[in-house]
Amino acid sequence: MALTLQVTDIMKSYDGKAALKGCSFVFDSAGVYALMGPNGSGKSTFLRICALLEKPDHGDVSYFSGEGVLPPDRGLRRRITMVLPRVGVFNTSVFGNAAYGLHMRGYPGRETERRVHRALEAVGLVPKQRQNALTLSSGETQRLGLARALVIEPELLFLDEPTASIDEENRSIVEEIILRLKGEGRTTVVITTHDREQAERLAGRVILMHAGGIVGEKPKIE
Amino acid sequence: MDFIAEGFKKAFVLIVHFDGELLGIIALSLKVSGLALVISSVAGLPTGAFIALKRIPAKGALISVMNTFMGLPPVVAGLFLYLLLSRSGPLGFMGLLYTPWAMVAAQTVLAFPIVTSLTHAAVVGVDPIIRQASMTLGASPFQVTRTIVAEARYGILSGVMAAFGRVMAEVGAILIVGGNIAGRTRVMTTAIALETDKGNFELALALGIILLAISLMINVLLHLVQRKGSLRTELWL
Amino acid sequence: MRIKRALLVLIATLSLAVSSVAEEPRIRCASTTSTQNSGLFGHILPLFEKKTGIAVDIIAVGTGAAIEIGKRGDADVVFVHAKEQELQAVREGYFTDRHDVMYNDFVLIGPAADPAAIKGVKSVTDAFRKIAATSALFVSRGDKSGTHTKELSIWEKAGMSPKGQAWYLEAGQGMEKTQRIADEKRAYTLTDRGTWLATKEKDRLEMAVVREGDPLLMNQYGVMAVNPERQKHANYARAMKFINWLISREGQEAIASFTDGQGNRLFTPNAR
Repeated sequence: MALTLQVTDIMKSYDGKAALKGCSFVFDSAGVYALMGPNGSGKSTFLRICALLEKPDHGDVSYFSGEGVLPPDRGLRRRITMVLPRVGVFNTSVFGNAAYGLHMRGYPGRETERRVHRALEAVGLVPKQRQNALTLSSGETQRLGLARALVIEPELLFLDEPTASIDEENRSIVEEIILRLKGEGRTTVVITTHDREQAERLAGRVILMHAGGIVGEKPKIE
Repeated sequence: MDFIAEGFKKAFVLIVHFDGELLGIIALSLKVSGLALVISSVAGLPTGAFIALKRIPAKGALISVMNTFMGLPPVVAGLFLYLLLSRSGPLGFMGLLYTPWAMVAAQTVLAFPIVTSLTHAAVVGVDPIIRQASMTLGASPFQVTRTIVAEARYGILSGVMAAFGRVMAEVGAILIVGGNIAGRTRVMTTAIALETDKGNFELALALGIILLAISLMINVLLHLVQRKGSLRTELWL
Repeated sequence: MRIKRALLVLIATLSLAVSSVAEEPRIRCASTTSTQNSGLFGHILPLFEKKTGIAVDIIAVGTGAAIEIGKRGDADVVFVHAKEQELQAVREGYFTDRHDVMYNDFVLIGPAADPAAIKGVKSVTDAFRKIAATSALFVSRGDKSGTHTKELSIWEKAGMSPKGQAWYLEAGQGMEKTQRIADEKRAYTLTDRGTWLATKEKDRLEMAVVREGDPLLMNQYGVMAVNPERQKHANYARAMKFINWLISREGQEAIASFTDGQGNRLFTPNAR
C-alpha cells in the first residue's frame, strides 16, 4: 500500500463532552478495516478525523508514503475520500454527481465518461444516470455515494455507516463492492459499523471502540 | 365588472394595432429593468454568497440592513438619487438626471438588496452536508463555494425573479429620476400612473394588463431556463 | 466561464440599447401635472418644434417641485401657475425673464345639491366662510401646488385657518384625483376650470360650479428661464427661444386655439 495512516493519541470533545479520549492506530496494510462499536462510541468522529474532515483537539494524524510525511494539503486530500452517512447528493443528475470528483480535478470529458460509466455500472445505477439524484431511494443514494467515491480511485476510502439505513438488497450490493475493492488490493477501506456480522464478513481487521477509546482489535485469520 | 372586460378589449386593440409609441414604452421598460436586474444580480449574487459563506464582523447587522433595504420605499430611493444626480448635487456634472441611466441606477438600488438578501438566505439554507461532501470529493475552497452556490440556485433565481417583479412594478423612483418624459423616459408604470391621473382608466388598465402579460412571459421564460439548467448542471459544478 | 461572457454581452447590449437615442436640440421644461394633463403641451409643442427644431421635454410635477427643480438647475425653463412664488424666485436670482403667458380661472365646485347653500353669496371669501360655518366637507389638494397655494390665500383672506378641522380633508393628490375624492365624499373643492371642463363628463362627477368669476380666482400661468449665471449648463439661448415663442403672436394663437373635446377653450392667452 502506498499510503500509511498513523493516528497518535487523538482527543476530541464537543461542547465539553469528550468524544475521543486518546486513540492511536496505524493503518499500514491494504485491505478492509472495520471500526465497530455501539452508538456514541466515537467511531464516526474517529473516521472524520482520519479523513481530514475535522481536526483533533490534541494528537496527531499523519499520512506517510515512500517519501515520508505528507502535508495535509489538497494533493493529499485528493488521494483519499469519505462517503458520509447521509451521502449529501448534489441537486443534479446521477451522472453529474458521480462525475463531480473528476470535474474538480479537471479531468477531460472522455476519461470522465469512461470512469463514471464504470463506477455507475459497479453500483447498478447506469439506467438512472440521467435522473436527478435527489429522486433516488435511500439505498440507491448510498450506492451513488459509493460510485462518487469510486470514480476518483482513492487510495484510502472511508465509509461511515454505509449500510445503516438501507434494505437487504442494497446492503448486499454495497458489501459486494467493498469485497471487490478488497480483492483488487489497491484501496484501503475503513468502514464504521455496529453490526458485528457485517464486520466479520468484510473486514480483515476489526477495531473495537467503546466510550471514545479503542478497546481492542480482532485480527481475523484469512 | 364591465371595466375589466373594457380593459382587456382595449389592451387587445392596442396590441393588434402595434402602436409605435406603446412599443417604445414597452421596449424602454424592458431595457431599463433588464439592465438594472443584470447589474444588481452581477453585484448582489457574489455579495450575498460572500456574506453567507465568509466569517465577517457584524454579519448580523449587515443582514438586518440588507433586509431593511429590501423594503426601501421607491420614492425614497428616487429622491435620494435625484439629490445625488441633480445639477446641484455631487454627481450633477454627469448629466444623468432625466435619462434612462438614472432610471437604471434607481432600479438597481431597489433590486440589489433583494438579490443580495435572498441569495444570502438561499446559500445559508443549503444543507451543511453539501460542503462536507464537496470537500471529501477533493474540491478546492473556491470549488466548494461554487458547489454551495450552485445548490442554492433555485433560491437565488427566486430572488432574481422577486427583484424583477419589484423593478417592473416600480413607479415611484423612476418617476422622480426619469421625469416621465414622453418618448424619452416614459415606461409602462409611469405611463399607467399618468393615464390614471388623466382619468383614462380603461387605457391605464389596458397598459396594466399588457405589463402583467409581459411579466408573465418573462417569468415563464425564466422558469424554462431554470428547468433546462437543472438538467445541465454538470456544467455548473 | 461561458456564463460570465454571456453576462458581459447582455450588459453591453442593454447598455447600448438604453443610450442609443440620437441627440437633437432639446430643452427641459419643468411644469405642472395639471398643465400636462390638460393636453395643452401635446397641442402647442409640435408647432414650436416644427418652427425651431427644438424638442421640449416636459417634466410634469407639482408647482413647488417644478420651481425647486428649476432652482437646482435640473431644467432650463419653468412653466407654472403660482405667480407670487415665481416672482419671489426671480427676486432671489434663480430665474430670469419671467412672463405672463395665459390664464384660466379657479372655480369652487361642490355637490350639485349645494348643501352649504353657497350659491348666491357675495364673494368667494364669503363662500369659504360659509363652508366652515356649516362644517360642510372641503377637500384640499394639500400638496403645495398652485391650486393649493391659491386656496390657502383665500382662507387667509377669509380670516380662517381650516387646517386640522374635522371637515377639512387634505388629499395630497393631483387635481383630478382631488375632484374625484370630493365627489365621492360629497365635499366642496377648489379646482381650475381647465381640469373641471376636461374631466367632469369623463369622470361622471355629480358636482357643479358653485362660485366663479371673482378676481381672486384668476389662475395666471407664467414662464421663466433658469438664470444661466446661477446654473452654467442651463441652455438659456434655447430657453429664450421657447419663452419668446410662447409670448409671440404665433404662440399665443396656438394657446387660444387649444380646446377640450367639447370645444371649450381651456386657456386664455394674456402675454403682454
